[in-house]
Amino acid sequence: MRLADQTDQQLIRAARKGDRQAFTALVNRYEETVYRFSFKMCRDPEKAKETLQDTFISVYRKLKTFDGKSKFSTWLYTIVTNNCLMKLRRRKIQELEDPLEVYDDPPGDDGSMRRAPIARWEETPADLLLVKELRSALDTAINKLPVDYRVVFVLRDVEGKSTEETARILHLSVEATKSRLRRARAFLRDQLHPYMVAQRETS
Amino acid sequence: MNCRQAYRFICDHLDERIASPRCRAIRKHIACCPRCREYLESVKTTVRLYQTAPGPKLPHALHRDLMKSLDTALQPAARKAPRRARR
Repeated sequence: MRLADQTDQQLIRAARKGDRQAFTALVNRYEETVYRFSFKMCRDPEKAKETLQDTFISVYRKLKTFDGKSKFSTWLYTIVTNNCLMKLRRRKIQELEDPLEVYDDPPGDDGSMRRAPIARWEETPADLLLVKELRSALDTAINKLPVDYRVVFVLRDVEGKSTEETARILHLSVEATKSRLRRARAFLRDQLHPYMVAQRETS
Repeated sequence: MNCRQAYRFICDHLDERIASPRCRAIRKHIACCPRCREYLESVKTTVRLYQTAPGPKLPHALHRDLMKSLDTALQPAARKAPRRARR
């Protein structure tokens, strides 16, 4: 059987015995996923590259400790997530001073609770993503989201992991994961609000 | 049922179909409350924009660099730090 046709488990077993080709096949299978995720978390090509390399070196070295109780992809996400968080925390990106508890409450029209009141957003067809300003607004908003919230949002909403798998990857309780996700969604929505409303007014 | 309860539901579940009586009541509130409906739509749009924003493709040069760095890092000599020669 060709290496590319083997299951993760078969490749892991062979790689543990020192088969470098089997390990390379695992790398080929997951390098795109790891790079894309790293990029979405770090928002920086150089950091994403470093994370990609560090992740697969860690995977090779820790492969013997993978017990197979969870999916290989869950275990891999745990490693890449840890690498991203270490880099982001080291970089001391500009984060909000305040935690996001304020996002447990709905926004008020009078601005008393927080800004970004309710107003109708312009319809957003898919090709709007081609608009440079929107991409920039999305980048700015997610860069402001503290990394402990960003990682939950990217895993759950962007990568499509379930709440339970996201919690396992991050070693968080399901409740804590849900709470961070709720605040992250509300925060990003409020950050995008001025742009979306301005879009509506100019169209 | 009020907007605050609906807000939590919106940000927790978006439009997941949850059948509990409480969730049905919240969905009923959202259907009747333009303010909550607008909010739900805006949160859904936010998530959709991030989901559909194209991610970067792995550049071929990066794949090559990765393979090279793995070759270097995973060689037996690299894994075991060389002992210093004693004088």
